Amino acid sequence: MSEQNHDLGFQQLVEKYPDFPQLLIRKLDSEVRGVVMSERAIKQAQEEGALFIASGADVGQEASRPVFGGAFFRDGSWVLGMEPMFLQFPEGYTRKGNTYTIDTIDGRSWLFDGKTPVEEVFFAPYPAHFGKKTRRGTPMMKMVSARFPGLLFIYLYNRCCFWADQMQCKYCSFPTRVFKRKPGFSQEDLDDLQETMDEVLKDTGKWMNIVLLAGSELSGPAPFDNEVAEYVKVLTTLKKTFGTEKVYAKMVASAFSRDQMLRLKDAGATTYQPHIEVWDKKLFEWICPGKTKYFGRQYWIDSALAAVEIFGRGRVCTQFVGGVEMMQPYGFKTIDEALASTLEGAEFFASHGVGPIAIMHRLETGSVFYTQHQKLAPLEYHLRLMKGISALHRKYNLSVDFNNYRCHPTGDLDRLHTAHITNELIAGGTS
Amino acid sequence: MDRLPQEALNLIKNSETIKILTTVDEDGNPHAAFREDLTVQDDGNLAFGEPFEGSQTNVNLVRSLWFDKKVELTLRDRSGTTFQIIGKPYRYAHSGPLFKKFYLAEREKRGADSELAGVWIIKPEEVRNETYDVRKKEEDEKHPFFRHFDRASVRKVKS
Repeated sequence: MSEQNHDLGFQQLVEKYPDFPQLLIRKLDSEVRGVVMSERAIKQAQEEGALFIASGADVGQEASRPVFGGAFFRDGSWVLGMEPMFLQFPEGYTRKGNTYTIDTIDGRSWLFDGKTPVEEVFFAPYPAHFGKKTRRGTPMMKMVSARFPGLLFIYLYNRCCFWADQMQCKYCSFPTRVFKRKPGFSQEDLDDLQETMDEVLKDTGKWMNIVLLAGSELSGPAPFDNEVAEYVKVLTTLKKTFGTEKVYAKMVASAFSRDQMLRLKDAGATTYQPHIEVWDKKLFEWICPGKTKYFGRQYWIDSALAAVEIFGRGRVCTQFVGGVEMMQPYGFKTIDEALASTLEGAEFFASHGVGPIAIMHRLETGSVFYTQHQKLAPLEYHLRLMKGISALHRKYNLSVDFNNYRCHPTGDLDRLHTAHITNELIAGGTS
Repeated sequence: MDRLPQEALNLIKNSETIKILTTVDEDGNPHAAFREDLTVQDDGNLAFGEPFEGSQTNVNLVRSLWFDKKVELTLRDRSGTTFQIIGKPYRYAHSGPLFKKFYLAEREKRGADSELAGVWIIKPEEVRNETYDVRKKEEDEKHPFFRHFDRASVRKVKS
Protein backbone atom coordinates (compact mmCIF):
# COMPACT_ATOMS: atom_id res chain seq x y z
CA MET A 1 0.00 0.00 0.00
CA SER A 2 1.22 3.49 -0.69
CA GLU A 3 2.18 6.16 1.81
CA GLN A 4 -1.25 7.79 1.49
CA ASN A 5 -3.10 4.58 2.09
CA HIS A 6 -2.36 3.37 5.62
CA ASP A 7 -4.88 0.86 6.86
CA LEU A 8 -5.77 2.64 10.09
CA GLY A 9 -7.70 0.77 12.76
CA PHE A 10 -10.56 1.85 14.99
CA GLN A 11 -8.55 3.66 17.67
CA GLN A 12 -6.35 5.47 15.19
CA LEU A 13 -9.40 6.72 13.32
CA VAL A 14 -11.07 7.85 16.53
CA GLU A 15 -8.02 10.01 17.18
CA LYS A 16 -7.70 11.25 13.60
CA TYR A 17 -11.40 12.15 13.17
CA PRO A 18 -12.67 13.57 16.48
CA ASP A 19 -15.63 15.15 14.65
CA PHE A 20 -16.83 11.76 13.42
CA PRO A 21 -19.03 9.79 15.86
CA GLN A 22 -16.96 7.07 17.50
CA LEU A 23 -19.97 4.81 17.57
CA LEU A 24 -20.27 4.98 13.80
CA ILE A 25 -16.60 4.12 13.35
CA ARG A 26 -17.38 1.05 15.45
CA LYS A 27 -20.32 0.29 13.20
CA LEU A 28 -18.22 0.53 10.04
CA ASP A 29 -15.47 -1.52 11.68
CA SER A 30 -17.98 -4.25 12.56
CA GLU A 31 -18.74 -4.66 8.86
CA VAL A 32 -15.07 -4.79 7.90
CA ARG A 33 -14.11 -7.28 10.64
CA GLY A 34 -17.33 -9.27 10.93
CA VAL A 35 -19.32 -10.18 14.06
CA VAL A 36 -20.12 -13.60 15.53
CA MET A 37 -22.34 -14.48 18.49
CA SER A 38 -21.21 -16.52 21.50
CA GLU A 39 -23.33 -19.49 22.57
CA ARG A 40 -24.53 -17.41 25.52
CA ALA A 41 -25.61 -14.60 23.22
CA ILE A 42 -27.43 -17.02 20.93
CA LYS A 43 -29.29 -18.43 23.94
CA GLN A 44 -30.12 -14.92 25.13
CA ALA A 45 -31.33 -13.94 21.65
CA GLN A 46 -33.61 -16.99 21.59
CA GLU A 47 -35.01 -16.09 25.02
CA GLU A 48 -35.69 -12.55 23.81
CA GLY A 49 -37.43 -13.79 20.65
CA ALA A 50 -34.65 -12.46 18.45
CA LEU A 51 -33.49 -15.71 16.88
CA PHE A 52 -35.62 -17.97 14.74
CA ILE A 53 -34.54 -21.43 13.65
CA ALA A 54 -35.87 -21.77 10.12
CA SER A 55 -36.44 -25.35 9.02
CA GLY A 56 -34.80 -26.65 5.87
CA ALA A 57 -38.24 -26.68 4.24
CA ASP A 58 -38.74 -23.02 5.13
CA VAL A 59 -35.57 -21.93 3.39
CA GLY A 60 -35.47 -24.53 0.62
CA GLN A 61 -32.37 -26.39 1.74
CA GLU A 62 -31.58 -29.56 3.67
CA ALA A 63 -30.38 -28.11 6.95
CA SER A 64 -32.17 -25.72 9.27
CA ARG A 65 -30.75 -22.22 9.52
CA PRO A 66 -30.76 -19.71 12.39
CA VAL A 67 -32.22 -16.38 11.32
CA PHE A 68 -31.43 -13.40 13.49
CA GLY A 69 -33.78 -10.48 14.14
CA GLY A 70 -30.77 -8.16 14.28
CA ALA A 71 -28.80 -6.19 16.83
CA PHE A 72 -28.43 -2.49 17.19
CA PHE A 73 -26.12 -0.09 18.94
CA ARG A 74 -27.23 2.40 21.58
CA ASP A 75 -28.00 5.05 18.97
CA GLY A 76 -30.36 2.75 17.08
CA SER A 77 -27.93 2.05 14.25
CA TRP A 78 -27.50 -1.55 13.23
CA VAL A 79 -24.61 -3.80 14.06
CA LEU A 80 -23.21 -4.76 10.68
CA GLY A 81 -20.96 -7.66 9.81
CA MET A 82 -23.55 -10.35 10.62
CA GLU A 83 -24.76 -11.12 7.08
CA PRO A 84 -24.62 -14.93 7.43
CA MET A 85 -27.39 -14.65 10.03
CA PHE A 86 -29.81 -13.02 7.60
CA LEU A 87 -31.70 -14.67 4.78
CA GLN A 88 -30.54 -12.30 2.07
CA PHE A 89 -26.91 -13.26 2.12
CA PRO A 90 -24.58 -16.16 1.48
CA GLU A 91 -22.47 -17.62 4.29
CA GLY A 92 -18.89 -16.99 3.21
CA TYR A 93 -17.07 -13.66 3.52
CA THR A 94 -13.55 -12.36 3.41
CA ARG A 95 -13.18 -10.00 6.36
CA LYS A 96 -10.23 -8.07 7.69
CA GLY A 97 -8.72 -8.13 11.20
CA ASN A 98 -10.07 -9.84 14.30
CA THR A 99 -13.74 -10.74 14.33
CA TYR A 100 -15.92 -9.02 16.93
CA THR A 101 -18.05 -11.17 19.24
CA ILE A 102 -21.43 -10.47 20.82
CA ASP A 103 -21.61 -11.99 24.27
CA THR A 104 -24.14 -11.72 27.08
CA ILE A 105 -23.28 -10.97 30.69
CA ASP A 106 -25.97 -10.85 33.39
CA GLY A 107 -28.70 -10.52 30.79
CA ARG A 108 -27.07 -7.61 28.93
CA SER A 109 -25.39 -8.08 25.59
CA TRP A 110 -22.15 -6.45 24.50
CA LEU A 111 -19.97 -6.20 21.45
CA PHE A 112 -16.55 -7.52 22.42
CA ASP A 113 -13.28 -6.57 20.77
CA GLY A 114 -11.16 -9.50 21.96
CA LYS A 115 -11.89 -9.75 25.66
CA THR A 116 -13.00 -6.14 26.03
CA PRO A 117 -16.68 -5.16 25.97
CA VAL A 118 -16.74 -2.03 23.80
CA GLU A 119 -20.45 -1.28 23.23
CA GLU A 120 -23.71 -2.48 24.67
CA VAL A 121 -25.96 -3.89 21.94
CA PHE A 122 -29.64 -4.72 21.87
CA PHE A 123 -31.46 -7.50 20.05
CA ALA A 124 -34.45 -6.98 17.80
CA PRO A 125 -37.32 -9.46 17.74
CA TYR A 126 -37.52 -11.63 14.63
CA PRO A 127 -40.57 -10.97 12.43
CA ALA A 128 -43.77 -12.49 13.78
CA HIS A 129 -44.70 -14.02 10.41
CA PHE A 130 -41.56 -16.21 10.34
CA GLY A 131 -42.59 -19.83 10.76
CA LYS A 132 -46.11 -19.23 9.44
CA LYS A 133 -47.44 -20.50 6.14
CA THR A 134 -49.99 -19.23 3.66
CA ARG A 135 -53.19 -21.22 3.02
CA ARG A 136 -51.38 -22.71 0.05
CA GLY A 137 -48.61 -23.92 2.35
CA THR A 138 -45.92 -21.46 1.25
CA PRO A 139 -43.58 -20.35 4.06
CA MET A 140 -44.36 -16.67 4.58
CA MET A 141 -40.69 -15.87 5.18
CA LYS A 142 -40.08 -17.01 1.63
CA MET A 143 -42.52 -14.45 0.27
CA VAL A 144 -41.41 -11.58 2.48
CA SER A 145 -38.18 -11.66 4.46
CA ALA A 146 -36.48 -8.94 6.48
CA ARG A 147 -33.07 -7.40 6.89
CA PHE A 148 -32.59 -4.42 9.15
CA PRO A 149 -35.32 -5.09 11.66
CA GLY A 150 -37.69 -2.45 10.31
CA LEU A 151 -37.12 -3.30 6.65
CA LEU A 152 -39.20 -5.84 4.74
CA PHE A 153 -37.52 -7.53 1.82
CA ILE A 154 -39.40 -8.71 -1.24
CA TYR A 155 -37.28 -10.48 -3.78
CA LEU A 156 -39.19 -10.45 -7.03
CA TYR A 157 -36.70 -13.00 -8.30
CA ASN A 158 -33.00 -13.49 -8.02
CA ARG A 159 -32.15 -14.32 -11.57
CA CYS A 160 -30.08 -11.76 -13.47
CA CYS A 161 -29.51 -11.74 -17.21
CA PHE A 162 -26.03 -10.39 -16.68
CA TRP A 163 -25.14 -13.54 -14.75
CA ALA A 164 -26.68 -15.72 -17.45
CA ASP A 165 -24.36 -13.97 -19.94
CA GLN A 166 -21.44 -14.34 -17.49
CA MET A 167 -21.30 -10.57 -17.43
CA GLN A 168 -22.32 -10.08 -13.82
CA CYS A 169 -21.04 -7.21 -11.71
CA LYS A 170 -17.81 -8.46 -10.17
CA TYR A 171 -18.80 -7.82 -6.53
CA CYS A 172 -22.23 -9.48 -6.89
CA SER A 173 -23.38 -12.72 -5.26
CA PHE A 174 -27.07 -12.18 -5.98
CA PRO A 175 -28.12 -15.52 -7.51
CA THR A 176 -26.17 -17.55 -4.92
CA ARG A 177 -28.22 -16.31 -2.01
CA VAL A 178 -30.52 -18.36 0.20
CA PHE A 179 -33.86 -17.96 -1.51
CA LYS A 180 -34.13 -18.85 -5.14
CA ARG A 181 -37.03 -17.40 -7.12
CA LYS A 182 -37.44 -17.48 -10.88
CA PRO A 183 -39.00 -14.51 -12.67
CA GLY A 184 -42.75 -14.64 -13.17
CA PHE A 185 -45.25 -14.14 -10.34
CA SER A 186 -48.34 -16.29 -10.97
CA GLN A 187 -51.70 -15.23 -9.55
CA GLU A 188 -51.24 -17.87 -6.85
CA ASP A 189 -47.85 -16.34 -5.95
CA LEU A 190 -49.45 -12.93 -5.72
CA ASP A 191 -52.21 -14.34 -3.50
CA ASP A 192 -49.47 -15.76 -1.26
CA LEU A 193 -47.77 -12.38 -1.23
CA GLN A 194 -50.93 -10.55 -0.26
CA GLU A 195 -51.77 -13.07 2.45
CA THR A 196 -48.24 -12.78 3.80
CA MET A 197 -48.29 -8.97 3.77
CA ASP A 198 -51.66 -8.94 5.55
CA GLU A 199 -50.08 -11.11 8.25
CA VAL A 200 -46.88 -9.03 8.35
CA LEU A 201 -48.78 -5.83 9.04
CA LYS A 202 -50.41 -7.33 12.14
CA ASP A 203 -47.02 -6.84 13.82
CA THR A 204 -47.77 -3.40 15.20
CA GLY A 205 -44.96 -0.87 15.41
CA LYS A 206 -42.48 -3.10 13.64
CA TRP A 207 -42.32 -2.04 10.01
CA MET A 208 -41.46 1.25 8.34
CA ASN A 209 -39.79 0.28 5.05
CA ILE A 210 -40.04 -2.23 2.22
CA VAL A 211 -37.48 -2.89 -0.44
CA LEU A 212 -38.46 -4.48 -3.75
CA LEU A 213 -35.49 -6.08 -5.43
CA ALA A 214 -34.83 -8.04 -8.60
CA GLY A 215 -32.04 -8.84 -11.01
CA SER A 216 -31.85 -7.30 -14.45
CA GLU A 217 -34.28 -9.00 -16.84
CA LEU A 218 -33.82 -8.02 -20.45
CA SER A 219 -36.74 -9.94 -21.95
CA GLY A 220 -39.99 -8.43 -23.18
CA PRO A 221 -41.19 -6.38 -26.14
CA ALA A 222 -38.66 -3.74 -25.14
CA PRO A 223 -35.61 -4.53 -22.99
CA PHE A 224 -36.54 -4.67 -19.29
CA ASP A 225 -40.29 -4.72 -20.06
CA ASN A 226 -40.78 -8.04 -18.28
CA GLU A 227 -38.84 -6.78 -15.26
CA VAL A 228 -41.12 -3.76 -15.13
CA ALA A 229 -44.15 -6.04 -15.44
CA GLU A 230 -43.06 -7.98 -12.35
CA TYR A 231 -42.68 -4.78 -10.34
CA VAL A 232 -46.13 -3.69 -11.49
CA LYS A 233 -47.62 -6.99 -10.30
CA VAL A 234 -46.05 -6.65 -6.87
CA LEU A 235 -46.90 -2.96 -6.52
CA THR A 236 -50.51 -3.69 -7.47
CA THR A 237 -50.65 -6.41 -4.82
CA LEU A 238 -49.14 -4.12 -2.20
CA LYS A 239 -51.72 -1.46 -3.05
CA LYS A 240 -54.41 -3.97 -2.14
CA THR A 241 -52.72 -4.70 1.18
CA PHE A 242 -52.29 -1.04 2.05
CA GLY A 243 -55.58 0.10 0.50
CA THR A 244 -53.80 3.14 -0.93
CA GLU A 245 -52.89 4.48 -4.36
CA LYS A 246 -49.25 4.97 -3.44
CA VAL A 247 -46.86 2.36 -2.09
CA TYR A 248 -44.15 3.71 0.19
CA ALA A 249 -41.50 1.21 -0.82
CA LYS A 250 -38.03 1.53 -2.20
CA MET A 251 -37.49 -0.07 -5.54
CA VAL A 252 -34.04 -1.24 -6.56
CA ALA A 253 -34.23 -1.97 -10.26
CA SER A 254 -32.56 -1.76 -13.65
CA ALA A 255 -32.28 1.49 -15.56
CA PHE A 256 -35.64 1.94 -17.21
CA SER A 257 -36.93 4.15 -19.98
CA ARG A 258 -39.20 7.10 -19.22
CA ASP A 259 -42.21 5.12 -20.44
CA GLN A 260 -41.35 2.20 -18.15
CA MET A 261 -40.94 4.52 -15.17
CA LEU A 262 -44.33 6.07 -15.85
CA ARG A 263 -45.84 2.57 -15.83
CA LEU A 264 -44.33 2.00 -12.41
CA LYS A 265 -45.56 5.32 -11.09
CA ASP A 266 -49.06 4.53 -12.32
CA ALA A 267 -48.82 1.22 -10.46
CA GLY A 268 -48.12 3.07 -7.20
CA ALA A 269 -44.32 3.41 -7.07
CA THR A 270 -43.13 6.42 -5.09
CA THR A 271 -39.38 5.93 -5.38
CA TYR A 272 -36.85 4.50 -7.77
CA GLN A 273 -33.18 3.59 -7.65
CA PRO A 274 -31.16 2.38 -10.61
CA HIS A 275 -27.67 1.85 -9.23
CA ILE A 276 -24.59 3.21 -10.96
CA GLU A 277 -22.33 1.13 -8.64
CA VAL A 278 -19.01 2.73 -9.68
CA TRP A 279 -18.36 6.14 -11.21
CA ASP A 280 -15.06 5.98 -13.07
CA LYS A 281 -15.86 5.12 -16.70
CA LYS A 282 -13.14 2.53 -17.25
CA LEU A 283 -13.75 0.88 -13.89
CA PHE A 284 -17.49 0.82 -14.58
CA GLU A 285 -16.82 -1.07 -17.80
CA TRP A 286 -14.49 -3.51 -16.03
CA ILE A 287 -16.59 -4.08 -12.90
CA CYS A 288 -20.07 -3.95 -14.47
CA PRO A 289 -19.73 -5.59 -17.91
CA GLY A 290 -23.44 -6.44 -18.10
CA LYS A 291 -24.53 -2.88 -17.45
CA THR A 292 -21.93 -1.74 -19.95
CA LYS A 293 -23.33 -4.01 -22.63
CA TYR A 294 -26.98 -3.23 -21.73
CA PHE A 295 -26.83 -0.23 -22.52
CA GLY A 296 -23.79 1.54 -21.22
CA ARG A 297 -22.85 3.87 -18.40
CA GLN A 298 -24.47 6.94 -19.96
CA TYR A 299 -27.79 5.11 -20.34
CA TRP A 300 -27.79 4.22 -16.61
CA ILE A 301 -26.94 7.82 -15.70
CA ASP A 302 -29.63 9.27 -17.97
CA SER A 303 -32.24 6.94 -16.54
CA ALA A 304 -31.55 8.14 -12.98
CA LEU A 305 -31.66 11.78 -14.05
CA ALA A 306 -34.92 11.32 -15.99
CA ALA A 307 -36.46 9.61 -12.97
CA VAL A 308 -36.23 12.85 -10.96
CA GLU A 309 -38.71 14.46 -13.35
CA ILE A 310 -41.11 11.57 -12.78
CA PHE A 311 -40.73 10.75 -9.08
CA GLY A 312 -39.39 14.08 -7.79
CA ARG A 313 -36.35 15.27 -5.83
CA GLY A 314 -35.67 13.12 -2.80
CA ARG A 315 -37.45 10.15 -4.37
CA VAL A 316 -34.65 8.88 -6.63
CA CYS A 317 -31.35 7.39 -5.49
CA THR A 318 -28.35 5.80 -7.07
CA GLN A 319 -25.95 3.67 -5.12
CA PHE A 320 -22.19 3.26 -5.18
CA VAL A 321 -20.60 0.04 -3.99
CA GLY A 322 -18.06 1.76 -1.81
CA GLY A 323 -14.60 0.29 -2.20
CA VAL A 324 -14.92 -1.62 -5.48
CA GLU A 325 -13.08 1.16 -7.25
CA MET A 326 -10.01 0.06 -5.26
CA MET A 327 -10.04 -3.53 -6.54
CA GLN A 328 -6.93 -4.50 -8.48
CA PRO A 329 -5.29 -4.54 -10.93
CA TYR A 330 -7.26 -1.71 -12.53
CA GLY A 331 -8.65 0.10 -9.50
CA PHE A 332 -7.33 3.16 -7.68
CA LYS A 333 -4.30 2.63 -5.51
CA THR A 334 -5.02 5.23 -2.84
CA ILE A 335 -7.98 6.30 -0.73
CA ASP A 336 -7.64 9.87 -1.97
CA GLU A 337 -7.90 8.89 -5.63
CA ALA A 338 -10.80 6.52 -5.01
CA LEU A 339 -12.77 9.08 -3.04
CA ALA A 340 -12.05 11.88 -5.50
CA SER A 341 -13.65 9.77 -8.21
CA THR A 342 -16.63 8.42 -6.27
CA LEU A 343 -17.50 11.72 -4.63
CA GLU A 344 -17.25 13.43 -8.01
CA GLY A 345 -19.91 11.01 -9.23
CA ALA A 346 -21.96 11.47 -6.08
CA GLU A 347 -21.88 15.24 -6.50
CA PHE A 348 -22.84 14.98 -10.15
CA PHE A 349 -25.96 13.02 -9.20
CA ALA A 350 -26.80 15.21 -6.20
CA SER A 351 -26.56 18.34 -8.33
CA HIS A 352 -29.21 16.78 -10.60
CA GLY A 353 -31.55 15.84 -7.74
CA VAL A 354 -30.58 12.17 -7.53
CA GLY A 355 -29.66 11.19 -3.96
CA PRO A 356 -26.30 9.41 -3.93
CA ILE A 357 -25.92 6.61 -1.40
CA ALA A 358 -23.20 4.02 -0.80
CA ILE A 359 -22.90 0.59 0.71
CA MET A 360 -19.72 -0.96 2.02
CA HIS A 361 -18.34 -3.45 -0.44
CA ARG A 362 -18.26 -6.93 1.06
CA LEU A 363 -16.29 -9.80 -0.39
CA GLU A 364 -19.05 -12.41 -0.60
CA THR A 365 -18.92 -16.05 -1.65
CA GLY A 366 -19.94 -16.41 -5.26
CA SER A 367 -18.68 -13.05 -6.42
CA VAL A 368 -15.82 -12.65 -8.89
CA PHE A 369 -13.86 -10.43 -6.51
CA TYR A 370 -14.18 -13.02 -3.72
CA THR A 371 -12.73 -15.75 -5.90
CA GLN A 372 -9.92 -13.39 -6.92
CA HIS A 373 -8.95 -12.95 -3.23
CA GLN A 374 -9.18 -9.19 -3.52
CA LYS A 375 -8.47 -6.97 -0.51
CA LEU A 376 -11.18 -4.87 1.12
CA ALA A 377 -10.86 -1.09 1.00
CA PRO A 378 -9.45 0.45 4.20
CA LEU A 379 -11.80 1.37 7.04
CA GLU A 380 -10.77 5.02 6.65
CA TYR A 381 -12.08 5.01 3.09
CA HIS A 382 -15.56 4.06 4.34
CA LEU A 383 -15.49 6.71 7.05
CA ARG A 384 -14.59 9.41 4.57
CA LEU A 385 -17.11 8.18 2.01
CA MET A 386 -19.92 8.26 4.56
CA LYS A 387 -18.90 11.75 5.58
CA GLY A 388 -18.57 12.98 1.99
CA ILE A 389 -21.91 11.66 0.83
CA SER A 390 -23.79 13.03 3.83
CA ALA A 391 -22.17 16.44 3.23
CA LEU A 392 -23.50 16.35 -0.35
CA HIS A 393 -27.03 15.63 0.86
CA ARG A 394 -26.75 18.71 3.03
CA LYS A 395 -25.13 20.86 0.35
CA TYR A 396 -27.84 20.05 -2.20
CA ASN A 397 -30.73 20.06 0.31
CA LEU A 398 -31.51 16.50 -0.68
CA SER A 399 -32.94 13.86 1.60
CA VAL A 400 -32.68 10.16 0.94
CA ASP A 401 -35.30 9.31 3.55
CA PHE A 402 -36.31 6.11 1.83
CA ASN A 403 -32.75 4.92 2.41
CA ASN A 404 -32.46 6.25 5.94
CA TYR A 405 -30.25 4.72 8.64
CA ARG A 406 -32.95 2.26 9.65
CA CYS A 407 -33.08 0.58 6.29
CA HIS A 408 -29.71 1.33 4.72
CA PRO A 409 -26.33 0.51 6.25
CA THR A 410 -24.59 3.86 5.84
CA GLY A 411 -27.25 6.57 6.09
CA ASP A 412 -26.44 7.45 9.70
CA LEU A 413 -24.77 10.85 9.42
CA ASP A 414 -27.87 12.31 7.77
CA ARG A 415 -29.49 12.11 11.20
CA LEU A 416 -27.59 15.27 12.09
CA HIS A 417 -29.28 17.39 9.44
CA THR A 418 -32.57 15.63 8.84
CA ALA A 419 -34.40 18.48 10.63
CA HIS A 420 -33.40 20.96 7.94
CA ILE A 421 -33.55 19.13 4.60
CA THR A 422 -36.53 20.21 2.48
CA ASN A 423 -35.71 18.74 -0.96
CA GLU A 424 -36.33 22.12 -2.56
CA LEU A 425 -34.01 23.06 -5.39
CA ILE A 426 -31.15 25.29 -4.30
CA ALA A 427 -28.64 27.36 -6.23
CA GLY A 428 -26.08 25.13 -7.90
CA GLY A 429 -28.50 22.28 -8.52
CA THR A 430 -30.09 21.63 -11.91
CA SER A 431 -33.06 19.48 -11.06
CA MET B 1 -25.38 8.90 40.25
CA ASP B 2 -27.53 7.31 42.95
CA ARG B 3 -31.21 7.00 42.35
CA LEU B 4 -33.22 10.17 41.89
CA PRO B 5 -34.69 11.54 45.16
CA GLN B 6 -38.23 10.44 45.94
CA GLU B 7 -39.55 13.98 45.50
CA ALA B 8 -38.24 14.08 41.93
CA LEU B 9 -39.66 10.62 41.24
CA ASN B 10 -43.04 11.80 42.52
CA LEU B 11 -42.90 14.76 40.17
CA ILE B 12 -42.16 12.49 37.19
CA LYS B 13 -45.05 10.18 38.09
CA ASN B 14 -47.50 13.09 38.46
CA SER B 15 -49.36 13.51 35.16
CA GLU B 16 -49.96 17.20 35.92
CA THR B 17 -46.26 18.00 36.22
CA ILE B 18 -44.82 20.18 33.47
CA LYS B 19 -41.81 18.36 31.98
CA ILE B 20 -39.46 20.20 29.66
CA LEU B 21 -36.41 18.81 27.89
CA THR B 22 -33.71 21.22 26.76
CA THR B 23 -31.09 20.28 24.21
CA VAL B 24 -28.61 22.27 22.13
CA ASP B 25 -27.74 22.14 18.46
CA GLU B 26 -24.26 22.09 16.92
CA ASP B 27 -23.93 25.87 17.30
CA GLY B 28 -25.05 25.85 20.92
CA ASN B 29 -28.55 27.16 20.22
CA PRO B 30 -30.94 25.87 22.89
CA HIS B 31 -34.15 24.06 22.04
CA ALA B 32 -36.84 23.22 24.63
CA ALA B 33 -39.71 20.77 24.20
CA PHE B 34 -42.45 19.32 26.44
CA ARG B 35 -42.08 15.65 27.37
CA GLU B 36 -45.40 14.61 28.86
CA ASP B 37 -44.65 10.88 28.70
CA LEU B 38 -41.42 11.04 30.72
CA THR B 39 -41.08 7.97 32.94
CA VAL B 40 -38.53 6.37 35.21
CA GLN B 41 -37.31 2.89 34.27
CA ASP B 42 -36.59 0.14 36.81
CA ASP B 43 -32.86 0.82 36.54
CA GLY B 44 -33.32 4.51 37.40
CA ASN B 45 -32.86 5.79 33.87
CA LEU B 46 -35.40 8.15 32.33
CA ALA B 47 -37.38 7.36 29.19
CA PHE B 48 -39.64 9.33 26.88
CA GLY B 49 -41.06 8.93 23.41
CA GLU B 50 -39.98 11.01 20.42
CA PRO B 51 -42.82 11.44 17.93
CA PHE B 52 -40.77 12.74 15.00
CA GLU B 53 -37.48 11.50 13.60
CA GLY B 54 -36.81 14.89 12.00
CA SER B 55 -37.53 17.07 15.03
CA GLN B 56 -34.85 19.45 16.28
CA THR B 57 -35.00 17.70 19.64
CA ASN B 58 -34.28 14.35 18.04
CA VAL B 59 -31.40 15.68 15.99
CA ASN B 60 -29.91 17.34 19.06
CA LEU B 61 -30.28 14.16 21.09
CA VAL B 62 -28.52 12.11 18.42
CA ARG B 63 -25.67 14.61 18.42
CA SER B 64 -25.53 14.53 22.23
CA LEU B 65 -25.33 10.74 22.28
CA TRP B 66 -22.65 10.63 19.61
CA PHE B 67 -20.49 13.35 21.12
CA ASP B 68 -21.11 12.69 24.81
CA LYS B 69 -23.00 15.93 25.53
CA LYS B 70 -25.52 16.59 28.28
CA VAL B 71 -29.20 17.46 28.13
CA GLU B 72 -31.45 18.95 30.79
CA LEU B 73 -34.94 18.20 32.06
CA THR B 74 -37.00 20.64 34.11
CA LEU B 75 -39.97 19.38 36.13
CA ARG B 76 -42.48 21.61 37.91
CA ASP B 77 -45.81 20.80 39.55
CA ARG B 78 -48.77 23.03 40.39
CA SER B 79 -47.41 23.80 43.87
CA GLY B 80 -44.16 25.12 42.39
CA THR B 81 -41.99 22.20 43.39
CA THR B 82 -39.28 22.22 40.73
CA PHE B 83 -36.44 19.84 39.91
CA GLN B 84 -33.73 20.00 37.29
CA ILE B 85 -32.15 16.79 36.06
CA ILE B 86 -29.01 16.80 33.96
CA GLY B 87 -28.04 13.66 32.12
CA LYS B 88 -26.76 12.10 28.94
CA PRO B 89 -28.70 10.28 26.24
CA TYR B 90 -27.71 6.62 26.50
CA ARG B 91 -29.94 4.88 24.01
CA TYR B 92 -32.47 5.46 21.23
CA ALA B 93 -34.79 2.47 20.84
CA HIS B 94 -36.96 2.13 17.76
CA SER B 95 -37.58 -1.60 18.02
CA GLY B 96 -38.29 -4.11 20.76
CA PRO B 97 -40.55 -4.28 23.82
CA LEU B 98 -39.74 -0.86 25.30
CA PHE B 99 -40.40 0.89 22.00
CA LYS B 100 -43.60 -1.05 21.47
CA LYS B 101 -44.94 -0.07 24.90
CA PHE B 102 -44.46 3.65 24.17
CA TYR B 103 -45.67 3.24 20.59
CA LEU B 104 -48.95 1.65 21.62
CA ALA B 105 -49.48 4.30 24.30
CA GLU B 106 -48.94 7.07 21.76
CA ARG B 107 -51.37 5.45 19.32
CA GLU B 108 -53.92 5.08 22.08
CA LYS B 109 -53.54 8.73 23.00
CA ARG B 110 -53.37 10.38 19.59
CA GLY B 111 -55.22 8.02 17.27
CA ALA B 112 -54.80 5.96 14.14
CA ASP B 113 -52.53 8.32 12.21
CA SER B 114 -50.17 9.11 15.07
CA GLU B 115 -46.46 8.32 14.93
CA LEU B 116 -43.72 7.50 17.37
CA ALA B 117 -40.22 7.50 15.93
CA GLY B 118 -38.40 6.11 18.95
CA VAL B 119 -37.83 6.10 22.68
CA TRP B 120 -34.93 7.94 24.29
CA ILE B 121 -33.21 6.70 27.43
CA ILE B 122 -31.41 9.32 29.51
CA LYS B 123 -28.94 8.44 32.26
CA PRO B 124 -29.28 11.07 35.01
CA GLU B 125 -25.96 12.42 36.23
CA GLU B 126 -27.03 15.29 38.44
CA VAL B 127 -30.26 16.42 40.08
CA ARG B 128 -31.07 19.77 41.68
CA ASN B 129 -34.06 20.89 43.67
CA GLU B 130 -34.95 24.21 42.05
CA THR B 131 -38.05 24.90 44.14
CA TYR B 132 -38.08 28.60 45.11
CA ASP B 133 -37.97 28.18 48.90
CA VAL B 134 -35.22 25.57 48.71
CA ARG B 135 -33.09 27.65 46.38
CA LYS B 136 -33.65 30.82 48.44
CA LYS B 137 -32.37 29.08 51.55
CA GLU B 138 -29.31 27.78 49.70
CA GLU B 139 -28.52 31.16 48.19
CA ASP B 140 -28.92 33.01 51.45
CA GLU B 141 -26.45 30.67 53.10
CA LYS B 142 -23.95 30.77 50.24
CA HIS B 143 -24.29 34.43 49.23
CA PRO B 144 -25.53 36.47 52.22
CA PHE B 145 -24.17 39.70 50.68
CA PHE B 146 -26.46 39.40 47.66
CA ARG B 147 -29.55 40.28 49.73
CA HIS B 148 -31.27 43.67 49.54
CA PHE B 149 -31.56 45.47 52.85
CA ASP B 150 -35.35 45.46 52.53
CA ARG B 151 -35.51 41.78 53.28
CA ALA B 152 -36.75 40.59 56.65
CA SER B 153 -33.76 38.32 57.12
CA VAL B 154 -31.40 41.33 56.86
CA ARG B 155 -33.27 44.12 58.60
CA LYS B 156 -36.01 44.18 61.16
CA VAL B 157 -38.86 46.03 59.59
CA LYS B 158 -41.22 47.82 61.96
CA SER B 159 -44.77 46.65 61.39
